[in-house]
Amino acid sequence: MTAIAPDLRAVLAGIADVLIPAAQGMPSATEAGVPEALLDEVVRARPDLAAPLVEVLTAVATDDAATAVARLRAGAVPGFDTVAVVVAGGYLMSPRVMAELGYPGQEAKIVDPDDVIRTLHDGLLDPVIERGPIYRPTPGTGESR
Amino acid sequence: MDVDRVDAVIVGAGPSGAVTARRLADAGMSVVCLEQGGWPDYSKARAGFPDFELVARKHWDWNPNTRRAPGDYPVDDGDSDITALMYNGVGGSAVMYAAHWERFLPSDFRVRTLDGVADDWPVTYEDLEPYFDEVERQFAVSGLEGDPALPPATAPPLPPVPLNKVGRRGAEALNRLGWHWWPGSNAIATKDYGRLHACAQSTACPFGCPVGAKASPDRTHWPDLVADGVRLVTGARVRELVTTASGLVDGVGYVDHDGVERIQRAQVVILCANAIGTPRILLNSGLANSSGLVGRRLMMHPFGNAIGIFDEDLESWRGPLGQHLHSLQFYETDVARGFVRGAKWNLLPSGAPLSMMLPGLWGTEGSWGEDFHTALRARLGRSAIWTVICEDLPDESNRVVLDPDTVDAAGVPGVRIEYRTSENARAMMDFHLTKLELVLREMGATQTILNGHIRASGWHLMGTAVMGRDPATSVVDPVGRCHDVPNLFVLDGSTFPTSSGVNPTATIAANALRCADALVRDRAAQVVPA
Repeated sequence: MTAIAPDLRAVLAGIADVLIPAAQGMPSATEAGVPEALLDEVVRARPDLAAPLVEVLTAVATDDAATAVARLRAGAVPGFDTVAVVVAGGYLMSPRVMAELGYPGQEAKIVDPDDVIRTLHDGLLDPVIERGPIYRPTPGTGESR
Repeated sequence: MDVDRVDAVIVGAGPSGAVTARRLADAGMSVVCLEQGGWPDYSKARAGFPDFELVARKHWDWNPNTRRAPGDYPVDDGDSDITALMYNGVGGSAVMYAAHWERFLPSDFRVRTLDGVADDWPVTYEDLEPYFDEVERQFAVSGLEGDPALPPATAPPLPPVPLNKVGRRGAEALNRLGWHWWPGSNAIATKDYGRLHACAQSTACPFGCPVGAKASPDRTHWPDLVADGVRLVTGARVRELVTTASGLVDGVGYVDHDGVERIQRAQVVILCANAIGTPRILLNSGLANSSGLVGRRLMMHPFGNAIGIFDEDLESWRGPLGQHLHSLQFYETDVARGFVRGAKWNLLPSGAPLSMMLPGLWGTEGSWGEDFHTALRARLGRSAIWTVICEDLPDESNRVVLDPDTVDAAGVPGVRIEYRTSENARAMMDFHLTKLELVLREMGATQTILNGHIRASGWHLMGTAVMGRDPATSVVDPVGRCHDVPNLFVLDGSTFPTSSGVNPTATIAANALRCADALVRDRAAQVVPA
């Protein structure tokens, strides 16, 4: 697995906080841990992202963060898609972020097989049924074989 | 007889291959299935884990050029308006489909007669009806009988998925507009059924169902088929079909997972490799193409969506994905609209957050800076997606050809796709998105996002080995037998003369069963190699 060196993590931190600053009661990307533990989790889930991330961070390493983001978003330096998926993907893996959003994640809730049956009793489908068939009659059916 | 020769070899372990294998095995035939990929790795089905969306964007990516799994082959789509999507492995593209289970409508089989375009099918809705009933049992279809957009039909084996808040809001809006809707029909178990378990509503259907609720043949068919003696060979890359001097096929040449060249001999060969893979094999074999139509008439369903964002919490991260409901209000032709044929709408929950925040369906730029938080709070749990599937009419210039520049891991040529979206489909999409914006406003959406003609949407592959009665204008006969090679069959969506405007898997499976039934019925008269 490609390691992400501390100096490149610092580059990522600057970019990440431009993309996701602290606002509206939400932590910044860095406060959420994107350049550190969450980056490790991202790369563990998606090892294919590590090498292209290193490449793009190296390409903008001498830019200040705002300039790096501007150049990436303009396509002057390729690889914004990689940075975006790492930063947003890592951020949305944060338990703190999920808690602030009130998002429980994909908690399992087995379907209620009677849900639509109750809908029928409520009469929700009645107007659809009352309007009758809407499919187009087809001539010559049943005579083709 | 050669001890290694079997009654039938099937290429491809997707829905058509699985249904065919079931029918042939039940008739006592010996069957081998060659599948270029492996079994799906459900350890990568990460719904409920924080890394779900990151893993899904690679491991379950619908585009083989992105996924680059061992069973994939190169598909050059640089000259196509739509990218071809597929899953190459046991279960076929049903492993990644959303399981929307839609019967083609009666008019779909009669577009020449009714609308003066394309071709009528050599079979009718009524011919397929008993096979629809049977495959709905095989694929654990959940739904509600009585949809007035279709002729009366047998009830599916399971009750429909819930409407939840998203579906109810959509249904109420359509009722106020006086427009058609019906609870969704899905190949998703709403109760434990056979090997399947009841859906846990993780919005993960196309990204590895974590609980085994979604019906794909790796779960619904192949474990039992293998137990019943069907030999499933994974990692088998078909190079070409083997022929006899008398013009029959004698078997299938393939490269096994160890790189060894092998031949599986059989009395009949059945291609179920989808409308990209099947013409790839036929073209590479130089067979069944006296009509010149192998690879031509590719149809992929121009696809768009209309997203609504609401002030209220709809818990739209939950649900099957999987359709809550569909509408066929504007499905049938009305020439006053400026186009022929129509489109299906279906309503979906919007799911997990990452896809909402990256460039793509929710905007070309993504939302960054403080806007990231604004957009995230507005969208997560508070959005719903209508999708539009436009009927794609056949055009001989839309085609699949062998690519001289690429090969797969076994050295078998890749393919190139040449495809342009028609003016008819463009007019159709514009009309339907305009109508759906009205629906979203009626639902109470405060923001709408309309995406017409999404390029990465070629899930529905059809038409490249068309069926018909005339060998001059078709590749296979009405039961899938190649006009040129009487013991070679195509039983996948390649044979479809037209595409309908609904999801095709139900009809692919039903038609495969109809043709397999005919093959069994006519077995005594089948011409086979000496």
